Amino acid sequence: MTTRAKVLIGLGAYFGLAILMLLVFGSSGKNEAFQPQNEFKLEPWVSIHLGGIDFSINKAVLYLVLASALTIGTMVWISRRMQQKPNRVQTAIEVSYDLTKNNITGSHLDPKTAARWFPFLAALFFFIWFSNMIGFLPLPTNTEHEFSIFGLQVPAFALYAATANLSIPLALTLVVWVSYHVEGIRAKGLVPYLASWLPPGLEEMNPIGKTFIFAIEAISHFARMISLSVRLFANMLAGHLLLLFMGGGLAVLLGIAALGALTFPLAFFFFVLEVGLIATLQAFIFSTLTAIYIGGATSASH
Amino acid sequence: MEAFGDIAGGLLVLAQTAPGSEESGGSFLVSPGLGLMIWTLALFLFTMWVLSKVAFPKIQEALDKRANAIRESIEAAERQRHQSDELLEEYRQRLSEAREQADDIMARARRAAETAAAEATAAGKEKREELVAAAKRDIEAETRRSLEQIRKEVADLTVLATEKVTRRSLTAEDQRRLVEDALSEVDFTTLSGSSS
Repeated sequence: MTTRAKVLIGLGAYFGLAILMLLVFGSSGKNEAFQPQNEFKLEPWVSIHLGGIDFSINKAVLYLVLASALTIGTMVWISRRMQQKPNRVQTAIEVSYDLTKNNITGSHLDPKTAARWFPFLAALFFFIWFSNMIGFLPLPTNTEHEFSIFGLQVPAFALYAATANLSIPLALTLVVWVSYHVEGIRAKGLVPYLASWLPPGLEEMNPIGKTFIFAIEAISHFARMISLSVRLFANMLAGHLLLLFMGGGLAVLLGIAALGALTFPLAFFFFVLEVGLIATLQAFIFSTLTAIYIGGATSASH
Repeated sequence: MEAFGDIAGGLLVLAQTAPGSEESGGSFLVSPGLGLMIWTLALFLFTMWVLSKVAFPKIQEALDKRANAIRESIEAAERQRHQSDELLEEYRQRLSEAREQADDIMARARRAAETAAAEATAAGKEKREELVAAAKRDIEAETRRSLEQIRKEVADLTVLATEKVTRRSLTAEDQRRLVEDALSEVDFTTLSGSSS
């Protein structure tokens, strides 16, 4: 059998099953009760309010704690048993450590600045990476739906990622944003640092023009705050929404069972894509952009 | 066709509900919570602190140690290779020296053997010649002695014969002279053959 025939048969079975299911089950109408966005809703599990701020422990806090514990646990565990001849886990950690050390930090910062900011950038990378990765482990966190194991009510298993909540990337972005300005001011002084925002070649420009350009640059710095946080947040949220819809959410929402047959194989594809690429890529991009921002703030020329 | 209409409708519903009301809408997705941000900050800073105090220095130390070990072993390997190159060169030199010496010894031995053979040949020849010469001398001496003997006996016989013929004896002196005269006319060379 030729490859072409195999592909055709496969596609035929794929669409045939969907059509068959459409004929058998038909459409049961729109499902108004299912709210897919509630998968990302944060129910306060332990309500804590201090000074008007809601510190309630919820799913996102659990994921953050898990990410922190996993990051610390893995790195400390590996660092305590570093072997001259590494096993696979150690090799993986060494490769990622090398990535943060030489690629993310080393290639965007001068050696002195790199030495000072390496722990921050590496911690950012590993923290975000573990946050992203545990977002693809089904954990019993969905308190909206519970099921019973020998009478014990267990929350339904669900996928969730702390980074798919805007607060978390935004908090990290704020740290980055403040850090690179502070580093820039420390390296150059306040006025020279602000002056360095202007691109070179504007020395002859009149003050109004300079002010205008400076305003644009200032806006671009604030835009970084949004772009950096929203990039991570939106990527992770979109990934999880895709998994949710492809994994059956769309079929449930629209009440068309046949749609599930079409989308379900895609869920596997997106899952592999998310775990294999997006989770690492977004952690890498976040920490690399941070390094670039710090490098831009401290380098002699803009 | 109905199904596609439903899909489009469903997506429309999603789009409408996204910025919708508190309970069913999705606005909480994009509204940051200060408490959660502070949780994030605290946990991230704690993670960073632990990593930078405990994990990173040890990993760096181990990596440096390995890098040093690798550099040292490369250097050691280079040193050893250098040494073995030198040794090899030395051995080659020694080998060629030994070969030269062997050739030399062989040549000398051959020469010595040739010399010895030549000497032996010469000595043999000399000896043979000596022997031959000695034999010749002996033969000549023997011949001469035999001739003397013969001559003496002939003389004596002649004297006896003459006495018998003449019935008188000549003085010994006369006799001797006569015999000598006679004998000198006889050619004895025929007796001694070709060895005269």
